[in-house]
Amino acid sequence: MDTLTIWQSLIIALWVAAIMSRSFLGGATLTLRFSPLMTGLVVGIVMGDIAGAMVITAAIQLIYMGVFSPGGTMPSEPSIAAAIAVSVALLGDLSPEAAIAVAVPVGLLGSYLYQFRFFLNTFIGKATDRAVESLNHKAISRSIVLYPTIASFILFVPLVFIALFWGAPVIADVIATLEGTVFLHILEVVGGGLAAIGIATTIYVIGRRDYMVFFLLAYFMSVIFRDMGITMVTYAIIGTLVAAIFVLSRNNTAKASSANGTNTVDGSDDDDDDDF
Amino acid sequence: MTTDTQKVTLTESKKEMAPGELTNKDVSIAYLRWHFANEIPHSFERYLAPSLLYGMMPVLRKLYKDDNDLRAAYKRQLLFFNTQLTWGGGIITGLMSSMEQERAKQEHNNEEIVMTDDLMYNTKAGLMGALSGIGDSIDSGTVQYIFIAIAIPWAQNGLAAGALFPFIAFATYQLLIGLFFARQGFVMGKSATGLMESAGVQNAIELLSILGLFMMGILAGNYVTVSSSLEFVISGRPFIVQETLDTILPGLLPLVTVMGIYWYYVKKGLKVTRALIWLTLILIVLAAVGIL
Repeated sequence: MDTLTIWQSLIIALWVAAIMSRSFLGGATLTLRFSPLMTGLVVGIVMGDIAGAMVITAAIQLIYMGVFSPGGTMPSEPSIAAAIAVSVALLGDLSPEAAIAVAVPVGLLGSYLYQFRFFLNTFIGKATDRAVESLNHKAISRSIVLYPTIASFILFVPLVFIALFWGAPVIADVIATLEGTVFLHILEVVGGGLAAIGIATTIYVIGRRDYMVFFLLAYFMSVIFRDMGITMVTYAIIGTLVAAIFVLSRNNTAKASSANGTNTVDGSDDDDDDDF
Repeated sequence: MTTDTQKVTLTESKKEMAPGELTNKDVSIAYLRWHFANEIPHSFERYLAPSLLYGMMPVLRKLYKDDNDLRAAYKRQLLFFNTQLTWGGGIITGLMSSMEQERAKQEHNNEEIVMTDDLMYNTKAGLMGALSGIGDSIDSGTVQYIFIAIAIPWAQNGLAAGALFPFIAFATYQLLIGLFFARQGFVMGKSATGLMESAGVQNAIELLSILGLFMMGILAGNYVTVSSSLEFVISGRPFIVQETLDTILPGLLPLVTVMGIYWYYVKKGLKVTRALIWLTLILIVLAAVGIL
């Protein structure tokens, strides 16, 4: 069984730590953390198989649709999951579905590490207090940006490195031996079905129960036209037009009714509906 | 003579101590600093407050020339704070900038302080929850996944663009929309017009929600693969369950799966981990006995 080299493991570990510390790219790290795509690409570059890595990452992405942190708690860390699962899948030449089976538990474990980071930052907060008291502007900036970044790297780099360097070959081995058994069928079914989680989560988060017809419209469109090779960009344009037509026509109705003087409460349809 | 020079130096020093006039540029810099430091110092104690302070530092230094006033302002912006990056963070950095501007003027002119610490904190606290609710579901929950939905087929074909496009598009979107909200928040603090109630923002939220649901429908139709592998032999002829299901309604099982999870969320709340475990268990069992 192949293994990752020390350098490959280290580069991936540094990438993950950079995302988890949220430093360097600021708010842009948001999508790096919530989506496995870029991490999958980095693993692909490091391991010299971009195409293979992207195929696996696409499968992992589907189960992590809708993953973000409402109120700061997140059920999983897709980028940590991708770092391990894509490496394992490339090492063991696994199917994308089998890679999902690796990604899910790793992502769950990763979320505890991210929480632990908040705990470390609580102590660093004392340095901010002291710096504010003495009005030392440079020290304030250091305590807000530099120290938490260093703490995150100390936390994440060794753990991810160990998981990749020693863990990945072992996991790949175990899963490879399962191939050809009924487990493969189960993994495929689970991998295909879990994509529903991400999509259902996104629908729930958007929180417009009254607009579910648009989901159903698109669902049946895509099922009916599946073999026609319509791209996502085309669908996005159609979706934008459908949404625009709806918003425009509703605004016109509101305008017409307020012009009639029957209803002066402009935007009364500003629904107090779904608690999302 | 002496009183005269004293007067001159006094007015001069008073002029020197006068708070600077904040511009759009100051507010943009404050937002960019907040954007950059957003989640770096995240802690259980104060959540994102240090990031807000980091964003506001240049603004506060321009406004408060007296050390004690500056220290008080720093502490004011270091109280517990948690909100979403662009909607919450943008509007609140803009709003706090204009409120601090008022406060600095009132302190400098020895007027009665209308912009009290309480008023400022309550404004922040009142907005941060509501705005993060809107911001999270629109940005992270909808816009981000619209970009990802477009790029997934590229990734499936092994193209790097599948990763690069959503990242670049979403990062650019967040930066621009955050700057927009920061400036709007700054103006709002002066004129007190309800930005969130404006027709434009309401329409944009609606359009994005519909587009988000639409793209999820497309994704579900293309990528949720749940099918029955059940086959019977009835009086010598094979009977394939999935074929019958397809004649009833194509794509029935994936839709049932998605709607089943959605229904679970509606009943039990957004318990993603639990739904994940339940669905995995159900799929394992159904696959093992040969139904799926």
